[in-house]
Amino acid sequence: MNLQKVISGFFFILAMTLNFGFSYGDAQNIEMHTNYELYAALVVSLIATILKIGDKTQIGSVLLASSLVADIQLIAAVLIWTVTDSMDSATMATIVSLSGGALMANVTSVILYIGETLKSKR
Amino acid sequence: MDNNALWIILQRLRTPLLVIIITYSIAILGMVLIPGVDDKGDIYHLTFFDAFYFISYTASTIGFGETPYEFTYTQRLWVLVCIYLTVVGWFYAIGTLVAVLSDKTLKNELMKGRFRKRVRALKSDFIIILGYNHVNSQVIQKLLANDLAVVLVDISEDKINGFLLEDFAHSIPVMVADALLTETLKDAGIEMDRCQAVVSHFFKEDKNLRIAILTKFLNSNVKVITKATVRDTMTSLIDTDIAKVENPFEIFAKRLDIALIAPHIMILENWIYKNYDLTHEATFLPQGRYIICGYGRMGKVVKEKLDFHGIEYVIIDENVIPTKEMIENNTFISANADDREVLLEAGIEESAVLIAGTQNDIDNISIVLTAQKLNSELYLIARENTMKEVSIFEAANIDWLFMIEKILINKTSLQLANPLKHAFLKLIIYKDEEWGTSLVNLLKSQIGANPKLMNLTITEERAYALYREIEAGESINLNILLKSLRDWKSYHNAIPLLLKRGNEEILLPHDEVMELGDQILFACDEESREEIEYIASNIYDLHYIRTGEEKKNWLLGKIFK
Repeated sequence: MNLQKVISGFFFILAMTLNFGFSYGDAQNIEMHTNYELYAALVVSLIATILKIGDKTQIGSVLLASSLVADIQLIAAVLIWTVTDSMDSATMATIVSLSGGALMANVTSVILYIGETLKSKR
Repeated sequence: MDNNALWIILQRLRTPLLVIIITYSIAILGMVLIPGVDDKGDIYHLTFFDAFYFISYTASTIGFGETPYEFTYTQRLWVLVCIYLTVVGWFYAIGTLVAVLSDKTLKNELMKGRFRKRVRALKSDFIIILGYNHVNSQVIQKLLANDLAVVLVDISEDKINGFLLEDFAHSIPVMVADALLTETLKDAGIEMDRCQAVVSHFFKEDKNLRIAILTKFLNSNVKVITKATVRDTMTSLIDTDIAKVENPFEIFAKRLDIALIAPHIMILENWIYKNYDLTHEATFLPQGRYIICGYGRMGKVVKEKLDFHGIEYVIIDENVIPTKEMIENNTFISANADDREVLLEAGIEESAVLIAGTQNDIDNISIVLTAQKLNSELYLIARENTMKEVSIFEAANIDWLFMIEKILINKTSLQLANPLKHAFLKLIIYKDEEWGTSLVNLLKSQIGANPKLMNLTITEERAYALYREIEAGESINLNILLKSLRDWKSYHNAIPLLLKRGNEEILLPHDEVMELGDQILFACDEESREEIEYIASNIYDLHYIRTGEEKKNWLLGKIFK
């Protein structure tokens, strides 16, 4: 067992699950989405991005790219939350849909990561 | 920025970035969770944005104060933790970033990237120069003066820094790297079509051989201009097929040969190198006894030549064991030449020529000074290994100074900048005195003391009219170009010296039929140079010269009919 693999796998999957947890629920319902979870999703996603840097292989580049996409989507969601004056259901819907996009990117990267792990002979 | 450099920065910054993200996120979360009291005494929580704002200016030690309301003691307790956590993380990251930016590997990568980009952006043909030393510095200047692009590589950063201070440095892509590696040569663009030649003048001659072999496998169309003073290395170099090797000692020997039997060839050579004009007096080496000081690479070639011409000589050297033949003939003195007694013993008072040819410049100059005192009539030849002491040698009043570096500079730059002149020189050194005298006299009487040289290549750009006619199947003789535009029956003052057609070289061509791609070297004056250019490129002038009639303009002719 490789500790480094455990740590990076942990963060990649945690980024996805937190993202899913935030997006889950009726998009227009403000009470179904907590800002703490969005914060956690963004932080973990950033950490996952840093962990992906440094692998110059083909699959490493795609992993990094998908992570960057997730970061941008989440940052956009956070920005909207910050600048909005009063939270209404329309704003919340925008935020949730942005994080939904990030979720897609996270899912892609986790699938790639699992695929790479399965391919590895060690 | 180059790809590699970006990766180096990102990889080194991984840990610091992780540290920043983790410390910030802990601090921000704490700030949001801990309740505060606003100005009305109500309990409130900082928003994530407030917390991020506060932590950002605290971590970077800017410190705007407590916002939006004054903190409670519980909050301040947490802020204390935040300060120690984030400030340390922040400084660590900044420190690493600065270290990475001043890192040698990164700097090298950045330089390599810039170098590669500049080499790829070169529009014209270029020449790769390996190593920056006195010889190559002069070669670079001569090539630049001939509008040839140059790329420079040297392993030492100090030398490159010295080079960058020169005023011709700005137009030359330059890199610090080991020239003996394939990768460096590839970076320098050796595989590109526009790369014409590699100049490799390393002191250690096996390096030159290595460069020649690498080049042969990377791009066999590239010439390698190099030097060799040892015969083994020289043959190996020639065996690579692409190396043009110069051996300064053999060049000197050949000149000695010429000076002994055909000094007018020497006049021609000096004229082509622009050292003197044709009226310069021919150097006849005096007949008589020769003293050779130093029996190394130079002494050996000199001895061969003197043996060949049957000239009496004596060799002085203290480090070499003489052969049996030398002892029997009494032509070797095993002693230090820089000594009055030894020179007297060698018979300096009855000798005609002294050659100071040791490896040490100061020894050579000292020998010359002693010899001048002992025999003021002596003809002095001295070898100068490096150009550092050139002024001392010049002051010493030496009849013939043999400068190894200068020969290399002249040969290399001529070969690259003007291959036709170089080919001409290579051919004439095998001619005899009679041939030399007649050519010198012909040039002097027809053109003047200092004729100019011009190249003409039969291509569409350089000689449009000729190119058109020859392509159409007309047969045109070379002496068409020599006729005068004032009167087609007379000739102007140019003399064709060499015609190069593929690998064939014709010395003093006369009535050859020209072909496409021919390269012709003319000796001429300013006026005849213009005439040749007009005849070669203007269809009306060419027509007049060939037929003696003005060519009718087709369009005008139709109109006036």
